[in-house]
Amino acid sequence: MPVETSLNIAVLVSVGQHPVSGRARRADQDARAVELGLTLAGRSLSLVHVGDAGEPALRQYLGMGLRTMTVLQEAPEADAASSLLQYFATHPADIVLAGVQAERGEASGLLPYLLAERLGWPLVPRIAQIRAIENGRAEVLQALPRGQRRALTVPLPFIATVDSAAPGARQTAFGPGQRGLFDIQRGLAQADVARAEWVEAQARPRPKRLNVVKAKSAAERFKAATAKPQGQGGQVMKQESSREKAQAIFDLLVAEGVIRQ
Amino acid sequence: MMLDWLLPALLAAALGLLFAGALRRIRLWRRGRPEPVAFLAGLAAMPRRYLVDLHHVVERDRYMSNTHVATAGGFVLSMLLIVPVHLFGLESRWLNLALLLATLLMFCGAVFVFLRRRHPPARLSRGPWMRLPKNLLVFSASFFVLTLLTSGLLPEGFGGWVLSILLAAGVALGLAEMLFGMGWGGPMKHAFAGALHLAFHRRPERFGGGRSTGLKPVDLEAPTLGVAKPEDFTWNQLLGFDACVQCGRCEAVCPAYAAGQPLNPKKLIQDMVVGLSGGSDARYAGSPYPGVEPGNASGAPHQPIVDGLLSAETLWSCTTCRACVEECPMMIEHVDAIVDMRRFLTLEKGETPNKGAEVLDNLIATDNPGGFAPDSRMNWAADLNLPLMAEVGRAEVLFWVSDGCFDMRSQRILRAFVKILKAAQVDFAVLGNEECDSGDLARRLGDDATFQSLARNNIAVLNRYRFERIVTTDPHAFHVLKNEYGDFYPEGKGGDYEVLHHSTFINGLVRDGRLQLKAHKGGTVTYHDPCYLGRYNGEYEAPRALLNALNIELSEMERSGYRSRCCGGGGGAPITDVPGERRIADMRVEDARAVQADLIAVACQQCTAMLEGVVEPRPQIKDLAELVADALVEEVHEPRKAAMSQEQP
Amino acid sequence: MSDVIRRDPRTERILRNRLHPLHESLAGGPVRGPTGLLRRNPHAVGFIGPNGLKRIDRSSTGPAPSGRDLRRSATTHSEEPALPLHRVEQPDFYVAAVLDMAGGRLTSHDRDILGQAQQLARSGGGQGAVVAIVLGEAREAGFDTAGADRLIQVTHCDGQALDDYCPERKLAVLQAVEDQLGPRFWLFPDSVHGGADLGARLAVRLGERPAVHAWQVTETETLCRGGSGRIDIRRHTPRVLLLAEECALPVDDSRHQALPIQLDEYPDVRVCIHDQGLVPVDPSQIPLAEAEFILSAGNGVRDWDQFHEVATALGATEGASRVAVDDGFMPRFRQIGATGTWVTARVYVAVGISGAVQHLQGIGRCEKVVAINLDDGCDMVRRADLGAIGDSSEILAELLALAREHRGGKDTDATVPETLEVA
Repeated sequence: MPVETSLNIAVLVSVGQHPVSGRARRADQDARAVELGLTLAGRSLSLVHVGDAGEPALRQYLGMGLRTMTVLQEAPEADAASSLLQYFATHPADIVLAGVQAERGEASGLLPYLLAERLGWPLVPRIAQIRAIENGRAEVLQALPRGQRRALTVPLPFIATVDSAAPGARQTAFGPGQRGLFDIQRGLAQADVARAEWVEAQARPRPKRLNVVKAKSAAERFKAATAKPQGQGGQVMKQESSREKAQAIFDLLVAEGVIRQ
Repeated sequence: MMLDWLLPALLAAALGLLFAGALRRIRLWRRGRPEPVAFLAGLAAMPRRYLVDLHHVVERDRYMSNTHVATAGGFVLSMLLIVPVHLFGLESRWLNLALLLATLLMFCGAVFVFLRRRHPPARLSRGPWMRLPKNLLVFSASFFVLTLLTSGLLPEGFGGWVLSILLAAGVALGLAEMLFGMGWGGPMKHAFAGALHLAFHRRPERFGGGRSTGLKPVDLEAPTLGVAKPEDFTWNQLLGFDACVQCGRCEAVCPAYAAGQPLNPKKLIQDMVVGLSGGSDARYAGSPYPGVEPGNASGAPHQPIVDGLLSAETLWSCTTCRACVEECPMMIEHVDAIVDMRRFLTLEKGETPNKGAEVLDNLIATDNPGGFAPDSRMNWAADLNLPLMAEVGRAEVLFWVSDGCFDMRSQRILRAFVKILKAAQVDFAVLGNEECDSGDLARRLGDDATFQSLARNNIAVLNRYRFERIVTTDPHAFHVLKNEYGDFYPEGKGGDYEVLHHSTFINGLVRDGRLQLKAHKGGTVTYHDPCYLGRYNGEYEAPRALLNALNIELSEMERSGYRSRCCGGGGGAPITDVPGERRIADMRVEDARAVQADLIAVACQQCTAMLEGVVEPRPQIKDLAELVADALVEEVHEPRKAAMSQEQP
Repeated sequence: MSDVIRRDPRTERILRNRLHPLHESLAGGPVRGPTGLLRRNPHAVGFIGPNGLKRIDRSSTGPAPSGRDLRRSATTHSEEPALPLHRVEQPDFYVAAVLDMAGGRLTSHDRDILGQAQQLARSGGGQGAVVAIVLGEAREAGFDTAGADRLIQVTHCDGQALDDYCPERKLAVLQAVEDQLGPRFWLFPDSVHGGADLGARLAVRLGERPAVHAWQVTETETLCRGGSGRIDIRRHTPRVLLLAEECALPVDDSRHQALPIQLDEYPDVRVCIHDQGLVPVDPSQIPLAEAEFILSAGNGVRDWDQFHEVATALGATEGASRVAVDDGFMPRFRQIGATGTWVTARVYVAVGISGAVQHLQGIGRCEKVVAINLDDGCDMVRRADLGAIGDSSEILAELLALAREHRGGKDTDATVPETLEVA
């Protein structure tokens, strides 16, 4: 799709965290949203972050090739939705993109829904691509599990959340990231009161659900107790004909349901 | 006689043109970034650098070395004498005689140059370089005859006007090639630029038997990071490019070129020359980048290099093995230039190809290129009960584990080395989860920002503990810790320890009798020198001595020692993964097959991974540590205790 | 099933013992007369003996099962034991569970949600009823055993089928439920099949702050997993809950009424998002990390055209070992392994891959691995659930033929269960 500079596209970006080390970074889905925005709007794309402009990880977004980024300076306990609502009241946009959910904190993924509800815009969740924008309508591809896609049309303006199946974000370059500028606006958000009552703790591992055998008879109980666990060394076919081997493989494929009818 | 006035005029004109051309050339170099050099000391050291260090390299090719001594020595001597004799008309028998001898010497040299050029090997450039031997002959012959005439050794009027015209033409031709060409970009440019390059070399430590292989840090505050345009190089780098004689020795040893990847170090340097002077590579007459049609590259000092002079793939093909630098008789720093340009691509453009971006992200977020949990660094040694620095605080030896801890193959090497350390009762400790990647990979991929932050983290950790030496099984970490961390120590703090590669260290243990080794059993063994151990750090002896201690008689590959061929694993090449016609690792295993090796001994986990990636059947690949660990004589427990009690008081 | 009459002493005992907890479910409940006395149908007493005469068993007070009954119970017993029915006649409140019904059937996630809903319906005073809400066509018959006391099934809204992606219409239906029943809790599966989307929409519409990724829920307190799965948030249980998988055990020991409820009216819908249908996706275009069926080629593959043909015929995503990529037969982005892509396929078929450590690391999370290889001792065959030892091109040729037959005539599917045992 050619770069459409007449469109006003904003991307909401957050500070992510690495799933393994927990270190601050650009959030993966947000970065994909920025990538999607860059392919649509080029460098006229605007980035909006609610939080602290002092966070170094934000520069990773600027390193994707943007000169500036708007930061609505807010305290950590502020309610980002109210801050953004005020922002979009004065800075209209045609498309607002965001990740599906944040990588830290509550990560409810509710913010785009709140914005959409209060702005009265439609919301398209989990998009992978914006195929075309014509006559005030956009054709988007929604990501479904296992690589499937669904085409949707939606009128502008709208909010979309960008799925992890969207094209990967371009590399962030250190130099431009360091030189990028923050347009800091003092936010006027209300505090998120409800959250203050919550207790946060290090995630503890969830108990694995045991495979409870509901044996109805002694024979079944006996079978359950003595059955070999599956997957301990597979079957090896050597002497059979190629036809039989192929049949065995094919049957397995059908049984696993990966051969489409 | 016509020559009486024509000769001084020609000489004066040629010298004038040389002077003007030289000034112009100097101005071209000065467009580069400033870099301070020891100006006078450099000039003063230049003759020695030329005569000793440069010839040390040239001497690897005896034929060319002698030829060059004769030709260049004869030329320099002739010019020094021609000026007083023919320009200022100084009449002296002795001067004339000396000039005759000098031109004769030069003529003899030129004959050998001519012979070499009759059937030049593919690595040599043609074009203007093909006419050079003829002009050398013409120059020396003309001045020889001319001096015979002027010195009165030939009868007055000998040869008549025919000879005069011939001589005039010869002198003109010779002067044009030798002096005019020197200043205005002819083949003889190398003499002028080369001399200054030696004087103002960016790594003066390389002269006098020294070694300087560490990359220089990037100033992260600079307005552009890395090199985008020719004028972003430092001025003495530009000067270095101009010194190239297009001998193609770099091309002959470059593993990427041999693998058919689009890199030819000679062409790269020549492209930089095109860039600094402006123009296109249409006149380049050497081998092109494999798979790239020459003649389409053009550039200027202020124009971007990538996609003008060369493609990014050329830069990413380099394995940073330094074979070209090692071979270059002009001591040009190819790898520095390539990494400088990579730095721009990574730090400014964010265009590290293939898995590069992912690897750099992982290094930033998890301190290792694989993206493994940083607190799982010690999982490989869960059963080994290794002393942690955080617990013991001090030890004689710090075992730098490196990122091999995440790789199942490398873990075998690490475990073998631990076995050796324990067998020799070495007082050692590891950093455990406090260790980060050494930063080698980030730096070779051009991400100096990440390298610097990793280096600073590591230095902060190292400064917390007391130890005498660091030992590592990874030559890349070894090189970086030894040669590149020096720039980042907070003033006056740290760095006062020895860094050793495990081959050196184990060899020391064997020499001190702290290890009892059985003889190695098995077939023919050859040894592959890792680039970062050999060429980068000059350690060729210890691994061989160690193998000798195992009673192994090495069957050396044709390319070994300083000429060792890279495994293809350095410089992030497996990550940037530029396609070629062959794989470098396959070629290296082919080298080993050529000497009927059953086993390739290596001293680097990256080499192990690369060579083991070659499809079987192939020679077995084993690290030195594994060979030594297999050959350890299991000691009985009593003497071990005795040894410990001996150590304790 | 043989016709031999098998007596089930346990059932008989339960039927005789009116105090047994399962007595009611088996006996169909006691019949009491107007005075409250237990009434017995004299005609039902006794059974027909083997010689055709009626026999009355005087040894017990309960109604003995007749011969026919015995035979029936013998046949039904092995199929499904009759589970006790949980009745909610006059619910004090409702717990709404909005189900994904991916593919028209209850997913395991849906069952967990219903299990959670039942827990919430039985706690906190009063008797609650679980309302299962199904939007769109369903092919599911087991709502009763899954734990639905009530069932709202809406296939059309506003004259439009709800099968496509139409969150606005579905939201309108949920709003109608809210208006009509006012559930105490709204439960959604926090899934990519639409549950999370719909839950967020409803929460925002109702002005509720939902609990998201909730994995431990009681009536008063909820434990939610935070971003990147690194923190747990303990909070008061809100009205709207987006529940993680395995948040509660599914219902498995009772039946429920699953009484249908009709909705009165729906609020007006402004529809902005229009579904244009699924976009056909070429299996070869699916990113390897997402693909569920991968056919992967290694050094042992000789006939590459045939390999590509088989991948197309089977509808598999193509993968490759490092060697195959290095040799230039496959593009680099197809490489699987520690140095390539880590894959999560359900079925991974490795053709001519001997299984380097790095490669095996990369397929660590695949469920079923099939290896086609010449060498029966290689690591890949050892890892595989099914190893076919032989020339890969022969086996691939047969596989190709099978795939084409399969595509040609789908009626032959009936043979599958039998051959499965062979496999």
